[in-house]
This record gives sequence, C-alpha cells and structure tokens, in this order.
Amino acid sequence: MKLFKNRTFLLFLPAGIFLIIPFYGFIHAVIQSLGGEGLAHYEEILNSERFLSSMWFSIRTAGIATIVSIILGLGFTKWFHPLLTKTSPRLMVWIPMLFPHFVWGYMVILILSETGWTAQAFIAAGWLEDTSNFPVWTRDPQGIGIIITYVWKEIPLVILLLLPVYASIHPEYYALVDSLGGNAWHRFTTVDLPNLLPVLVESFLIIFSFTLAAYEVPALIGTTFPEMISVLGYEWFYGSSWEDRPLAFAAMVLTSLFLLVLTLMSYYGLSRPKWRAMRSDRP
Amino acid sequence: MTQTKLEMKNITKTFNHDKILNELTFHLEKGEIMSIVGPSGSGKTTLLRILAGLEKPTDGEIIMNGRDITKQKANRRSISLVFQQPLLFPHMTVKENIVYGAKVSKNYKEEKIESLLEAIGMARFRDHYPSEISGGQQQRTALARAMATEPEVILFDEPFSSLDPSLRQDLRYWVRDFLASRETTAVFVTHDMEEAMIMGDQIAVFEDGNFQQIGTAETLHKSPANMRVATFLGGHLILNDHEFAPLHAVRVGTQKTSKNEVSFHATVEHITYQHGRPVAHLYVNNLEKKISIPIDETFPTREVQVTIPAGSIQTFSGEIL
Repeated sequence: MKLFKNRTFLLFLPAGIFLIIPFYGFIHAVIQSLGGEGLAHYEEILNSERFLSSMWFSIRTAGIATIVSIILGLGFTKWFHPLLTKTSPRLMVWIPMLFPHFVWGYMVILILSETGWTAQAFIAAGWLEDTSNFPVWTRDPQGIGIIITYVWKEIPLVILLLLPVYASIHPEYYALVDSLGGNAWHRFTTVDLPNLLPVLVESFLIIFSFTLAAYEVPALIGTTFPEMISVLGYEWFYGSSWEDRPLAFAAMVLTSLFLLVLTLMSYYGLSRPKWRAMRSDRP
Repeated sequence: MTQTKLEMKNITKTFNHDKILNELTFHLEKGEIMSIVGPSGSGKTTLLRILAGLEKPTDGEIIMNGRDITKQKANRRSISLVFQQPLLFPHMTVKENIVYGAKVSKNYKEEKIESLLEAIGMARFRDHYPSEISGGQQQRTALARAMATEPEVILFDEPFSSLDPSLRQDLRYWVRDFLASRETTAVFVTHDMEEAMIMGDQIAVFEDGNFQQIGTAETLHKSPANMRVATFLGGHLILNDHEFAPLHAVRVGTQKTSKNEVSFHATVEHITYQHGRPVAHLYVNNLEKKISIPIDETFPTREVQVTIPAGSIQTFSGEIL
C-alpha cells in the first residue's frame, strides 16, 4: 500500500470523503436534469422567459444584497473595530446571526409591511393618512424586502469576517501614508483594501452564493413574478406536473455552474503575483 | 550663508499628566544632520512624530523656513519619516513602492525614480516584492520612497535597529553619504551613541524629556554638561554630581602609586577583548560605579586600585549648547 504512505494524501482524505456527498448530489442532479433526453431541458429553460427573468432577478437581488452588506459591514468595522474588541458591543452586533433567516424575514414583514409597525406608527403620529400610502417594501417586485432582510442579516457576518483582518493591520502603515503626503482615500486604498481584499472576495462569494440560491426568505417575503431562482426551482420540483422536475434540476445545475465559474475566476484573480506577495509578507 | 531650515521652540508634550517632552528648543540649518540619542523609552520617537505632524504637541511651536507649521497636518508638511520597520507595501514591487511615494506627494518624474533606484543599488531588484529582498534592501527602499516625496527635512526613527550589526554598519555610512550628497536636512534618532556619532554633525543627548547637551562628539566627550551625559557616553569615571575624570586618564594597577593622585579600590568583574585589546570591566566599590577600561596586562588578583591624577579631574560644564 505505497499510496497510503504519502502523508499529503492522508491529510486530504477526510475532506475528500466529505466532498463525495455534495459531489454525488451534483452528479445525480446532472443526470436527472438530462433525463435521458440530452440537453433538451437545458435548451428549454434557456428559451424560457420565466427562467431567464428569474435568473436575472436572482443575480441582481443577491448581488445588490451582497454588495450593500459588504459596504455597510466594511464601514461599520472600519469605524468601530476598536470598540468591537470589547465583548458586549461585539455580542450586540452579532445578535442577528443567532436568528434563523425565516425569523428575520418575518420580523421585516412585521416592521416594514404596509400594515406593519412602522406604517402604524406613522399613522399614529399623523405623518401618513392611510396604510396604503406606505411604500411597498415586502412582497414587492423590486425585491426590496429580500434585500433588506439579507443586508440586515449578513452585515454581522461581514463584520465577523473582517474584524480579525482589521485587528491585524499594523497601524504604523497609516502614519506612513500620512507622512508621505497621502490622505484618507490613500490610507484606505493602499493599507486597508490590499489587506482586506482576499476576505472581501471570500465574503462576497459566501454571501452571494447563499443569497442567490436560498429559499426561505424569497418564499416568505418575495413575489411570484419575478421570483428568485430557488423559488422557481422548488415550484418546478414539487409542482403539479412531474414533467417539470428535470427543469428544476437543470436550473440548479446551471446556478451551481455559474457560482463555480465565479469562484474560479475570483481565486484566479487572487492568485496574481501582487496578491500572493501580500500574503507571504505581513509584518 | 546658512539658513535655518527647521526650528522647534519650547515644545512640550504631556501624556496623562506625565511630561514626555519638556520645553524642547533646537534648530537645524539647511543640509545639517542632527542625531538625537537617548535611552529607550525616553520619548525620542514622540519627538519625531511631533516633527512629522503625526502627533500634536501640548505646547510650543515648530517653524520651518520661517513659517509656523505647528498646526499643519502630517500630509501637508514637507517632512518625511523613515520608520523603525521598513513598512514597505507588501503588494507593491520595489519600484512601485518608490513610485507610490512620488505620486502621492505629487512629485512624480520617471527619471527621478530611475536615479533613486540606482542610488540605492536596487535597479536590478526593481520588480521584486518586499518579501523577496533582504532587510537591508527593504530599509534602503523605504528610504528611497521617503526621498521620492522630495522632503525638505527627513526624519529617521532608529531605522537600522532591526538589522544585523554588520549590515547596520554598512548602511550607516551609506545613508550618511546619501544625505550629504543631496544636502538633505535630517534628524536621526537612535539609542546607540556610536550610531549617533557616525550619522550626525551635531549630537543631542536626550533624557528625561530634555536635551541634556547638544554638540559635536568631541565637545560632548571633552566637556560633558552633566552626569547624565557622561553616564550615557560611558567614557568617564563619574566621581560625584560635579566632578568626573576622563577614562583615558584613569590607570589601573595592583597598588597605590604616588601621592598626587586620587585612588579607589575596585573589583575586576570580567575581561573582554575589543578592537584587539583586553578590556577590564571594573566595579569601583566606593563610587558604586561600573567602568570599562582597556588594559595592557592582566592582573594576578581581582582586587585592583584605580588611580586618577589630581590634574585630570574636571567639573561638568553645565552648558547645554
């Protein structure tokens, strides 16, 4: 058994075995999506207005939610990271992470729907005449409710991921940029961003992949048209007609491939010599 | 004609009621290099950071080319600081780091970058990342980056302390010549007296928030202002608060010699060798002082006599400047 004497092989073994499960699922989904009819189902969904608008709506909604979460999370970490080293402010920031997404989505409905607390409070204060004057922020065609729920829920995750990086930045670098004649923008672009970049890219991938394909929030707080890809896939899977089931698989396989390509591109970008040099030397 | 480039007037800095800097005053002529030497933790770095604009003085003023710059922000001052660590941007190559200094201060010229790369001997390594070059090369690049901003004054905060001794020695002379050839006005902070003597035209001994004495190496050695300066120089036997004897006048022997001498009993703690000569490390019992003196011969016993000709005993000058 010469193969097993190789230590690297052994070290990869647990991760490899674990990855068999999702890999098996993916292969199985590919087989189901083909359904013995070649790429017919793929052709069908790629010509389907419903699928294409759902895909665009999902990418747009997940993209906005992810970028807004990252920008706000980054801003919050930048301004408050000295405070966040203390336990109680940190726990307060992380509270939203303790709740399931479903609960958080329900809370957003309670607070921001047309008959919600905010609308009621505005009417009581005399700022609104009728609940129908309140903007539609939940179950709306723009996906605003979905975006609000995700942004609220993911900002703490962004903070959690960025906080250790901020703590590791050598503060003398800021003084250095100042003494060379740089301003706040130079400090951010030459000290913060290069240090944060790998984590920002990873955070984007984690949050974007999750929000693109997660089901409960859009099912709870989204509309039926346009609908997020997960909601469409669920409908095709459990819909009245069994014939749509391969379409659900085809949609999910395409979503997985899209995320895979995005991830590979990001890691390719991060493996440029510039960013490799950044990782090998952190004084 | 010399002109005053940089002036500090009555600079005071207090941290939590502790006076770190106590009414410091000095001035630098154009092209002059001043070494500030003092023990670790004495506030030398704070002094430099105030000059660079990275910290605000509690009181006093800084004047550059006749203009008060005390309230000017760090990025508006034509003063660059070379830090203890090279602090090169790890994701930028040697050349990009230097270009960054030039661009951020809006002083970018391609020829200047090339001449700086040549001057620091890094032209061959221009495309290397900081992690691929040695500590000395990194510090040279950091210096070139600071010079690329074309500062009127450049400050050094113990820039060689993280390098190994042989490299440190080479770099001291190199930086000294580099600054002299460009007639750059500079302040060089160190805790090492030898480094201070190599780098500076003038040496300011800084301790307890004050300059104890400012002068050339020769002045400092010949007439130290007070006990603190003499202690820091290590070239004198301090007899009391007012009197000292230069170590070259001190003789070590096994017996008392003539009458016209002052003599103390001492214990040899150790013999080491420096510059090819044996050096005796003695503890002078009555004075409770340790001294190190080159000797010609070793002694049969550890108990010796330290004698000083009465004429060699001097009093501290008490003059700061």
